[in-house]
Amino acid sequence: MTRILFSDKLDNCVTRWQSAGFSVIGPVTKDTFSSYAAVEHASDFDLGIVLPDRSLKELFFPQTEPMLRYTIKQQAINTEDFTPPSGKRLIFGVRPCDAAGLSIDDPLFGWDYKDEYWFQRRNDSVIVTIACTKSDDFCLCTSLKLAPDTTNGSDILLRPLENNKGWQVEELTDRGREAFLTIAEFLQEGSEPAAPMAVVPEMFDLDTCVAWLQNPENFESKFWKDISMRCIGCGSCTYLCPTCHCFDIQDEGDTYSGIRRKNWDSCSFALFTMHTSGHNPRSTQSARWRQRIMHKFNYFPGKFSVNSCSGCGRCSRQCPVDMGITETLQKISTLHS
Amino acid sequence: MKIVGRHDEAPGVKTLRLEFQDQEDHEQFKKTFRTGMFGLYGVYGEGESTFCVASPETRNEYIECTFRQSGRVTSALANADIGDLITFRGPYGNRFPIENFQGKNLLFVSGGIALPPTRSVIWSCLDQREKFGKVTIVYGARTVADLVYKHELEEWQDRADVDLVLTVDPGGESPDWKNKVGFVPTVLEDVAPSPENCIAVICGPPIMIKFTLISLKKLGFDETNVYTTLENRMKCGVGKCGRCNVGSVYVCKEGPVFTAAEVSSMPAADL
Repeated sequence: MTRILFSDKLDNCVTRWQSAGFSVIGPVTKDTFSSYAAVEHASDFDLGIVLPDRSLKELFFPQTEPMLRYTIKQQAINTEDFTPPSGKRLIFGVRPCDAAGLSIDDPLFGWDYKDEYWFQRRNDSVIVTIACTKSDDFCLCTSLKLAPDTTNGSDILLRPLENNKGWQVEELTDRGREAFLTIAEFLQEGSEPAAPMAVVPEMFDLDTCVAWLQNPENFESKFWKDISMRCIGCGSCTYLCPTCHCFDIQDEGDTYSGIRRKNWDSCSFALFTMHTSGHNPRSTQSARWRQRIMHKFNYFPGKFSVNSCSGCGRCSRQCPVDMGITETLQKISTLHS
Repeated sequence: MKIVGRHDEAPGVKTLRLEFQDQEDHEQFKKTFRTGMFGLYGVYGEGESTFCVASPETRNEYIECTFRQSGRVTSALANADIGDLITFRGPYGNRFPIENFQGKNLLFVSGGIALPPTRSVIWSCLDQREKFGKVTIVYGARTVADLVYKHELEEWQDRADVDLVLTVDPGGESPDWKNKVGFVPTVLEDVAPSPENCIAVICGPPIMIKFTLISLKKLGFDETNVYTTLENRMKCGVGKCGRCNVGSVYVCKEGPVFTAAEVSSMPAADL
């Protein structure tokens, strides 16, 4: 017997969570475009999609976010720090790859200066993940040694029932347990079997790829030029990525008042690393694509012992020129290191 | 920080001297600042720019920064007046371990607008001159006008305990130029300082660093005795924003000061 949350009780749960003070968020499709967004009712969720177009990252690390406000009056400068909006959030129907993305970035935002914006939102959020029973041609979690029911970064894991009428509930953290205590009366004991997990074929051998990347001789391999020849440097892959975390800091305002903001930036852009002198350490698109791959599978794991990729496949799925991490690593895995 | 001094160094290049407005911040700076570290200097409404702290650790009553007016932030800094307030975030990064240089000869090699970080080390050592051996400085710029800290160059030239070699790129000399003409690495090979018991500190544009490292190798310098500073573009200064890294190294956290041995282990194409 396991605890079951039946779909027809989901709306009761949403209402209960809301009255317990949670803002309830989940996958929502608007027109033809899907993202994690706040909902009023369970019927607003779109739980049928493989995964939302946009990743979960932006709920923790928004595309743009104010850091401080300044006012200058007769030589006196006043600054006021922005505190991140706090408030409990329950994010329902998260995909395992998106949840794993959060746990991948935790050490980055925590080393040296601890990013209070990130951690405030992490502490305020309950991640209720639904394991994947379907996938598409771009999903690659298994190639990253993760799985359609990976629990990294999740507080609750729900496994869809075979009869598609609800989910088995697995409580993973105290935070998840607490949030599900409020809806205990809507849960039932049951023996309904869980649906089989999505079958995500392994598309490359990660260890072979990493060995190739770690070989310094391959840094200037012609491979990089060939693979990135059609990259237009639009940055979509980095913006949609659940783990890409590069940002820029810009002031918006005038001499008297304004806001200092943190904005998403991208290693795909030439200006990202351009020196004042005009010298650019990553002066070609191939150097920038190499940086992205190296950072995710060589540098980042070297520092934080985890790959900076959770296998969601958005970079390949939505690339306007049909490139992506999958193609690159697939090709690398066939090269001899 | 309040601007208390302002000096034109070369066309488009200025030095600002800044004083702390907050006693506690100043005490904190005195405790942490060591030569080689950098900071983010800013003007609200324009943004922040990264430069080294150009003043030495032996003179920590103030901060000096030297920069070329080029973009939005540096233009705002260049237009700021004495008495104006600007922001400073730092000091960040690692340092030149000058206590390990004691008793050794010092060779400083620098090019153009890269003299400021070198100058911080030079003065940090000259302010305790007795602790170090022979001091040689090789400094070059594109043209005579582009040499920065001209008043200090004169001072070093006049000092008996400092060997200063000045050079300008071919074509950059003026009719009354009495010093060398030639690129820094070539001039360095002519000067041929002995690698014996010598620490080299080099700083310059990437192309100069590249060829100076080759020249030093030719002269017999061991890579572990050669220090440089990699001043990459930065935004956060605390290892998050993702742009300063060379290979797996975050310049803002693990640098900006590296030995030549460390630099050669980095992917050369990314420097």
